[in-house]
This record gives sequence, C-alpha cells and structure tokens, in this order.
Amino acid sequence: MIQADLNIIMPEIILSLFAIGALLGAVYTSKDKMGPMLVWATAGVFLALALWIGVNGQGTNPAFGGMFVDDAFSRFAKVAILLSSAAVLVMSQEYMQRKGLLRFEYPVLVALSVVGMMVMVSAGDLMTLYMGLELQSLALYVVASLRRDSARSTEAGLKYFVLGALSSGLLLYGASLTYGFAGTTLFSGIIQTATEGHTSIGLLFGLVFIIAGLAFKVSAVPFHMWTPDVYEGSPTPVTAFFATAPKIAAMALFARVLHDAFGSAVSDWSQIIALLSVVSMFLGAFAAIGQTNIKRLMAFSSIAHMGYALMGLAAGTVLGVQAMLVYMAIYVTMNIGTFAFILSMQKDGQAVTDIGSLNQYAKREPGKALAMLILLFSMAGVPPMVGFFGKFYVLRAAYDAGLAWLAIAGVIASVIGAYYYLRIVFYMYFGEVPDETLDKSHSPVLWGFLMASAAIMVLGLVNLFGIEGAAAAAAATLVN
Amino acid sequence: MIGLEHYLTVAATLFVIGIFGLFVNRKNVIILLMSIELMLLAVNINLVAFSSFLGDLVGQVFTLFVLTVAAAEAAIGLAILVCFFRTRGTIAVEDVNVMKG
Amino acid sequence: METLILFAPLVGALIGGFGWRLTGERAAMWITTGLLFVACAFSWIVFLTHDGVTEKIQLLRWIESGSLSTDWAIRMDRLTAIMLIVITTVSALVHLYSFGYMADDPQWKEGESYKPRFFAYLSFFTFAMLMLVTSDNLVQMFFGWEGVGVASYLLIGFYYRKPTANAAAIKAFVVNRVGDFGFALGIFGLYYLTDSVKFDDIFAAAPALAETTVHFLWADWNAANLIAVLLFIGAMGKSAQLFLHTWLPDAMEGPTPVSALIHAATMVTAGVFLVCRMSPLMEYAPEATAFITILGATTAFVAATIGLVQNDIKRVIAYSTMSQLGYMFVAAGVGAYSVAMFHLFTHAFFKAMLFLGAGSVIHAMHHEQDMRNYGGLRKKIPYTFAAMLIGTLAITGVGIPLTGWIGFAGFASKDAVIESAFAADPMGYAFWMLVIAALFTSFYSWRLMFLTFFGKPRGDKHTHEHAHESPMVMLVPLGVLAVGSIFAGAIWYSSFFGKTNEIASFFGVPYAEASEHGEAKDDHGEAKDDHAAPKDDKKKKTSYAFTGKPGEGAIYTGKDNHVIHDAHYVPTWVKLSPFIAMVIGFLMAMCFYIWDPKMPKRTMEHNRPLYNFLLNKWYFDELYDAIFVKPASMIGRFFWKRGDGDVIDGTLNGVAMGIVPFFTRLAGRAQSGYIFTYAFAMVIGILVLVTWMTFSGGAQ
Repeated sequence: MIQADLNIIMPEIILSLFAIGALLGAVYTSKDKMGPMLVWATAGVFLALALWIGVNGQGTNPAFGGMFVDDAFSRFAKVAILLSSAAVLVMSQEYMQRKGLLRFEYPVLVALSVVGMMVMVSAGDLMTLYMGLELQSLALYVVASLRRDSARSTEAGLKYFVLGALSSGLLLYGASLTYGFAGTTLFSGIIQTATEGHTSIGLLFGLVFIIAGLAFKVSAVPFHMWTPDVYEGSPTPVTAFFATAPKIAAMALFARVLHDAFGSAVSDWSQIIALLSVVSMFLGAFAAIGQTNIKRLMAFSSIAHMGYALMGLAAGTVLGVQAMLVYMAIYVTMNIGTFAFILSMQKDGQAVTDIGSLNQYAKREPGKALAMLILLFSMAGVPPMVGFFGKFYVLRAAYDAGLAWLAIAGVIASVIGAYYYLRIVFYMYFGEVPDETLDKSHSPVLWGFLMASAAIMVLGLVNLFGIEGAAAAAAATLVN
Repeated sequence: MIGLEHYLTVAATLFVIGIFGLFVNRKNVIILLMSIELMLLAVNINLVAFSSFLGDLVGQVFTLFVLTVAAAEAAIGLAILVCFFRTRGTIAVEDVNVMKG
Repeated sequence: METLILFAPLVGALIGGFGWRLTGERAAMWITTGLLFVACAFSWIVFLTHDGVTEKIQLLRWIESGSLSTDWAIRMDRLTAIMLIVITTVSALVHLYSFGYMADDPQWKEGESYKPRFFAYLSFFTFAMLMLVTSDNLVQMFFGWEGVGVASYLLIGFYYRKPTANAAAIKAFVVNRVGDFGFALGIFGLYYLTDSVKFDDIFAAAPALAETTVHFLWADWNAANLIAVLLFIGAMGKSAQLFLHTWLPDAMEGPTPVSALIHAATMVTAGVFLVCRMSPLMEYAPEATAFITILGATTAFVAATIGLVQNDIKRVIAYSTMSQLGYMFVAAGVGAYSVAMFHLFTHAFFKAMLFLGAGSVIHAMHHEQDMRNYGGLRKKIPYTFAAMLIGTLAITGVGIPLTGWIGFAGFASKDAVIESAFAADPMGYAFWMLVIAALFTSFYSWRLMFLTFFGKPRGDKHTHEHAHESPMVMLVPLGVLAVGSIFAGAIWYSSFFGKTNEIASFFGVPYAEASEHGEAKDDHGEAKDDHAAPKDDKKKKTSYAFTGKPGEGAIYTGKDNHVIHDAHYVPTWVKLSPFIAMVIGFLMAMCFYIWDPKMPKRTMEHNRPLYNFLLNKWYFDELYDAIFVKPASMIGRFFWKRGDGDVIDGTLNGVAMGIVPFFTRLAGRAQSGYIFTYAFAMVIGILVLVTWMTFSGGAQ
C-alpha cells in the first residue's frame, strides 16, 4: 500500500531529493560556481518530470487515503508548472549571472517551490493544501529578496512575507473552521457536508477565509496589493517566475478546493468569485494605465488576467474550469515571451524597466518589436491572436453559466485594458525620438523565447495546439 | 463548564488581535512577526478545540504541522528582516515604503 | 472563347493598374488596348457565328447558402452577343482613342503618371460591363452592375483635382444608389417569390408571378408588376431616366473618352438591357411596361427640350443620349424588345462617334467646351467635321423614307421605335412625344454642327489659330465608328426589325407559322386602320408568330404581343412623320444659325422664362437640392454636431479623459506602499466577502 502511494508521489519525491542533493552538493563543494550548472540541471529535471507526468500519467490515483490526488487535472497543472518554470530558469541564467545573483540557492529554491506547487495542485486534504502552499510560499519569500544588497529587493521580500503570512493565517483560520464544522479535513469528506442549501454558516465562513487566502496567491483584488511592489522589487527573472508558475498552481488549487471540497455548494461561492473577478479585471485595467515601469505594469496586467481566469472559475461548470485552464496556459505562454523581452531590455549593461525607453524601438529592432507587438495584442485580446480565444473562452463560459453581466463587464474591462498594451505599441512604433537608446541584446535564448512565444500567439489560432482537449479532460475529472 | 464556543471565542479574539497588530502597528516590523505568530496560534487553539470536540486526532496533527511551518516562517521572516535592516538601517514599518503607486 | 472575352479586360486592368511599374507606362497602355482588341475580334466572331441558341458556360460555383445557389456563369444568347460586340468594339476604339486624347493632359504636371491608371479603369469598366451582360443570374448581374458603377465613379472623378469632377462623381454614385436600391429590392423580391436568382428559374416562374399577390409598402401588389417596377427603378438609375437622370449631364466632367464609352454606348444602356433581359417577366407585367413606356417617352421629350439650349458641347450630347435612351425604353415598354436592342446597337455607334468627335473638337480647341466660342471649324479639322456630320446624319435619322432601311443607322432604328410606339397605341402619348423629340433632336444636333463648324470663329482668337486636326490614333476610331454609323442600321435591319420569323431566328426564339393567324388578324383589325388589314392579308401569304415558353431564346414575346408585326403596317403618314420632323428641325436650325444668326438671341429674349427653364434643366437639380440634399445635410449636420460631437464624443472623452484617469489615480493612491494599508485592504476585503456571503449564500 505504502509502495503504491509512494509511486504516485514519485515525481515530487524525486524533485525534493534533487533539491536537497543539489543543496548539499553545492554547500560542500564550490558554492556559487555551481550556479549555472545547477540552473541547467534543474531545468533539465523539470523538463524530464514534465515529460514523465505528461506521457505516463493515467487515470485518477488517490494516495495516502485521499490526501494526495494524481488525476488529469493535477497532471495538466503540473506539466504547465514544470514547463514554465524550466523556461523561466533557462531565461534567467544569463541575467542572473550578469548581475552576480546566480547563487546556487536560486535553482534550489525554485525547485523547492515547484515541489510545493506540485503538492498544491494534487492536494486532496486541507493539510496537504497548507503544506504545499507554505512550501511554495516560503521558497518564494526568499527568492523575492534574493538580491540582498538591494533596498527594493529586500523590501519586496519583506512585504511579500508579511502579507503572505497574513494570507496564510486567513487561510488557516478558514481551514480550522472548515475542519470544525465538517469534521474532517479531507476534501472528499467536506463535499459530503457542504451540500447545496444545507451548508452550515460556519462552513461558509471557513470557505470565505480559504477563498481569501487563495485569492492572495492568485493576486485577486483586494488581496492583490503586494503584487506590484513585489514584481517591481524582485530581480526580473524572479518576477517572471512569480508571474507564471505560482499563478497556475494557485489557480489550480483554487479550482480544486472550490470543486473538490465545495463542489456541491456552487451557488454559494460563485457570486464571491464573480465579485473578485470583476474588481480584479477593472482594477488591473485602471491601475496599469498610470504605470511607467514595465514590471509594475505587468503586475497589474497579471491582476487583470487573473480576473479573467477567475471568471471561468465563477461559472462553476466544466466549461468554466476548462476555459480557466486554457486561459492560464495562454497567459503563461504570453508572459514568458514578454518577460524574455523585458529581460533583454538594458542600457549600458544595466537593466531598464522604464516604458519610455521603448520609444522608437521598432526602428532599431523591427523583428523583436513585431514579436512584442503580437504579444501585446494577444494580451489585450485583439482577435486574430490566441489571447483573444482565451478571453473568448472564459466569456462564453461565464455567459453559459448565466453570468452575462460578468461577461459584459469583462468585455468593457478588456477595452479599457487594451489602452495600456497599445500604449506600449504606440511608443515602440510612433514614439518620439528618445535621448538614449537601449542596447542591442545578443542573447539567443531570450530571443528564442520571445519569438517562439509570439509565433505561438499567431500559429496557435489554428487549434490552440490541441490544448483544449487536454484542458477539457482535466476539467472533466475535477467537476462532476 | 468550558465548552467549545469558549475556545472558539478566545481563538477568534486572538486572531483578530493578531490581524489588528498587522495594520494598526506602524512602528516595528518585529511586532508584525509577533502578530503573525499570534494569528497562527489562534488557529492552533481552534484546531485543538475542534479536535477534542470531535474526538478526532486530525486536528492535532494539523496543529503540529502549523507549529512547524510557523517556526520555519518565523526563521525566514527574521532572515529577510535582517537583510532589510542591513540595506536600510531601519526596521520601522513606515520606512518600508520605497515602492508604491 | 467567351471566357477569353470576359477575362481579357480584367487581365488588362490588373496589368495596367498594378503592373505598369514593371512593364512601363507605354507597354501597359499597349497591353490593355491590345487585349481589348483581341476581345473585340473574338466578340465579332462569336456574334457572327452565334446561332441564337442559348448556351451556358459555368465558370465557378460562387455562392451556396441554403437555397440560394449562384454560379458564376456565362449565359450566351443573342442579347449577350449584341452587347458583347457593342461593348468590346466601343471599348477597344476608346482605348485606342485615349492614346491621343490623354497624351498630355493639363490636369497633370510634368512627370506625373496617370495614363496607366486611366487605361486600367477603362479595362476594369469593360470587364464589369461584360460581367453584367454575360451573367446567368441576378446576383452576378448585380455584381457587374455595381462594378460598372464603381468604374463610372472612378472615371468621372478621374480629374480628382477638380472639385466639380469630384462632386459629379459623388452625385453619379449617390443617384445610382437610389436606383440600385430598387434593383436590389427587385432581386430580393424575386428570390423571395421564386426561391432562385437564376434567370432560367425566374423566367419559368414568370407566368405564376403574374397571378401572385404580394404585400409591400402597406398595399397589395401584383407580384410581376411590382418586381418589374422595382427592377426598372434600377434601370432608371443606370440609364438616367427621368427623376434619376440628374447625374448624367454632370458626369461629363470625366474625360471625353469616358463619356463616349460609359455614358453613351455601354453603361447607360445597361438599363435597357436589363428590361430586355427580363422580357419574360415584363410580358406578364402590363402596368409596369406601360409605366416604362410613359416614362421613356417623357424622358425622350424632356431631355430633348433641355438639349435645345445647352451651350456645352458635351452636355448637348449628354442630353441627346438621355433622350435616345428614352426611345429605347419606349420600344422595350411597348414590347418591341428587338427594336429596343436595335436602337441600342445603332445608338452605340453614332453616339460614341459623336462623343469622340466632340472630344476631337475639344482637343483641337485646347479643352474649350463652350460652343459659343467655336465656329468655322470645318476647315481646320476636316476629318472630325466629316465624322461629326455622319454622326449627326445618323442621329437625326436621315434616310430614304418608306424604304424602312436605306439610310443611316439612326434612321432605321429610330423609325422602328416610333412605328412600334404607334402600333402599340395609335395616336398615343408615347408616339407624339417621340415625334416631337425627333424634331428637337434634329434641331439641337444641327445647332451643334452649325455652331461648331460653320459661321465665323468666335471666342479666343489664339485658340482658333492653333486649332489642329487630331492625331491618327484619334481619327481611326472615328472612321471605324463612322462605318458603323452608316451601315449598322441597314445591314441588321431585318434581324432586329424584319419579319417575325427573321427576328425569331436571330434571337433564337421558337416560332411557328401562326396557326391562330385568324385570331391574331382579328386583333389587328381592332387595333389598326381598317385599310391596312386587308393589305396585310393580300401581301403576306404566311405570317409567323412567336411561340415558346418564357426563357426560351434571348427575348420573350407574349402570345398577345404583335407590336413588331403591326409596326410594319402602320399608316404611311406615321412612317413619314419622323422624317418630316427631322426635316423641320433641320430647317429651323438652318434658319436660326445660318440664315439669320441674330434670331436665337431675339427668340431667347422674347421667351426668357421658357429659355431659363430649359437652360436650368427644368430646375431638377434645384428641386432635388431643396427636397433631398439640403434637409439631408441638415440632418447630417445635426447628428454630426449634436449627436456625434456632443453625445458620443462627449461621453467617450468624458470616460477616457475623466473617469478612467480618476480611477487610475485612485488605484495609484491606494497603492500607498505601506504594509499596513495593504493588510488593511485585505481585511476590508475579507469583511466584504464575509458580509456578502452572509447575506446572499448563507442566508438560505
């Protein structure tokens, strides 16, 4: 029995052992010289695990009495997490090295947080949920303040830590209430108690607190306040990481809690998620307009995007979850491309994040400007790009679920939001001549990720690379 | 006779005090860490009370996990705080304000 | 072969329009012209070898949607064949002519390239026109119909630096839209009623339509009549019939070759073609055809009166065109479709020639168009004079009376129209209008000749001294058209207006030795002079009648329609009347402009109100301006200033400039940077959520 259980969580075990081994090895040998090698090794392990999970996974396998679940949904999320983490690691290697930040802890911490995320998305119990979440968060707190000599980086870490701890406190309080009123921490037990119309008020309180804790992780308004500061202060590769894998994990966990534990009380939480969704979309759109720092802008952009993903969740249907998964996959792909571009923005060897520096960029590097234009259009949801289909999916899911007002709000918010994406395009193509220009970047890795991401945004409109089918299968195992 | 509700009331009170400590206090980041600990311990009271009330051990197991994680969290929090202090020379909450807007 | 004819101009247009940078200007012009001549040659082969049997050539399946199925196909019958030669011949000659006429245009500066564009438009027009006449269904026809509209718009506005040209182009486009709306409604109606847009299906359904009633615009209508009128409204727009005619004179702002090709020979006759093409339907719509007849006759008359006093050489010819189109519609309206096509056919030759001749005069006079500044030009430009003379003889209808066919082209066809009009309604409105119009036609045509080529030179002396004969490329087309103007009527007289069996075999319509001859004779007896009927029986041993169902053959003539047959047996004075009218008109013109040059002025002063009325074109433009243009622009201005400016722009600007930045500032201020603010926001958030949950979800 225990052997079967261990087999099911073998990927997590392998990754943990790898992280611990790497840590020990690096500590006892050459310290930071191991950094670059470890980055590649970790990315390699991520890729291998993604392949393994993606190809090998079959059916629904609960482990440890249902505390850990390996199903199509968790596999979809895990593959997405692993692939995006690998991409971000590979992208960050050059930047971190140039800044002297490539300590061996970085890949190890990323690996540990990925373990946390993998546990999160497979959680079948409140305790698993909490442990995964904390493992992920603790690693991320450290990564955020990786640049120890920078006021901004340490401040980002501190803010993230304090607010993160507050959110885990809220989540934990919710978990304790849920435990008390449901009598169990297992999702499969909770769902039997929390049936439609018969949910006790205590359980609903618990649900609200859990939702609040999770909303913090996906940076939904009004639990989003940390996002811009942490995005700005953290080293850019870390920001890229924040914007991708943890978002998928938190969103997947969100879906799992809502459907696995409270799936029979959809009408109770659907309104709350819809509320979070609509305020996130609008605040993301409004606040981003005022930004001049592209990393802060991306923070608000991700807040808005999370609003759309939550819209799929608010639908509370199979299609809603499927739409959310498709949206997240598209979102992550777009963000990887965009951050590849942001990572390549530099002047005299210094990283630049001011949007004004992009003036007339298209004159100097038309290829990259075009790729960026495609990505920005896609993020704004301009029709021929894949990003439009992501939005279209969630809007349809919300509409089908009877949340027409939410869908309409989403359309309005996307119109407002298009402004700040298009403003960057405007700068790049029609901006005034800048005083200083950005250096030409010669990183083939970043260039490759940027181009690949842009190409996906255009080519994907054929069939979204078949991701719909996988997302549909994943959603079907979650919602019943 | 002290019943479940008493425990829950105490836990809720402590939890709210902890929350208040987070946003009313503007002086010292250490107090923030203490407030966080307070919140987590309030949760622990909740869990243990429920566990005892339900006659179910899971709550106490959960408590142990929470205690462990809280320790790790405190360690990391203090480490970050030390870094912060090194670069800024202050741990006043009002000075954690470089990035905004 | 038909496919080649159809696509040669398109290829030419594409090369001229897009490829000229590769091939060079001259090469592009030669290629377009060469392709047109090829198309022209093929068209003549097709026309001469065509046996009248309808064939269809499917090019591709175009639209398939529900029960709407539209092929892109060529319907090859006699009507198409006639139009093919008219279009390609005139177009090819106009292409050639444009080499000279467009050689150095004062509208363009040195080095600016405009010629390939012009040739491309011409070729594109030709393609669209061919598309229209070869179509096998109404949708394809509509496509061509709009295509020629676009080409016409582009060519009228070709001198886009002239505000008047732009205004004229817009006017032509807008007025045509009114007509096209009717046409489109007609197509919708036919599709609604017959569930098809194919001619074959529609023709087959025509008898049934005559017995159907439809509700439209708060009233019940006979379906056939309604559809016929709607389609005719389209034709009115294209063919500049009264009430939708105002664009045609203004369209003379375009280069003269364009006027010759589009606004004389081809596009404006599309309406006549449409009526003839829809003859199976028209035959079942007696009220509609009566309307067509009356409107055609009125147009012929009104346009002729206006033509009497115009001073711009091209406008005179433009009104003359409008008048002649009225003749064609009368012929079509009374059911003599072959006669309408006959006049269309001959008119294409002599009117194109008149325009090209006028172009030659204008060219010689350095783009002076006012006839009052001409005079005595026959010595300076003798070839042009000869051509114009032939054209005038043709349009006024000079020939040997009572032979029917020995004479210039216009003689044969115009007399045929007038006789048909009489046969359909003896002493009727249409007949008299046409005879009077013939008189006026003669007067203004000769007036044009006399003012231009006779008398003393007037106007700028310098211009007269430098007047020169046009180059060979312009004279050759004139010569070719002159041949057509002289002989086209005589050669094809019997095919268009001969005995019933000749017409029938020409158009591929089944006919039979009239078994119901006696019955038919009875009908004549009532309809005609008594003495003509016995003569008929004595002279003609055999009589033929059209048989066959609607849709068989190129045109359809109803069982009770004997107009063409009867037209041959109208009284002698009727046959003489157009000739007499022509002679009177000629003598009056002689009187006014040769013998007593002061007379026009005197007459004008004595009849000033009438003169102004005619000079201002019956005040149609002013009327439309007051009724449609002014109110429309007022409404437009209201919506623009108040609706668009204040309401929409105001709202959008308010949102974009006021509300959005307000929220942006608010969001920025909320993001204070302090941990306690952030924590407070989270606590507020959870309070809101808990409250919400308590009141909505948890309340149950």
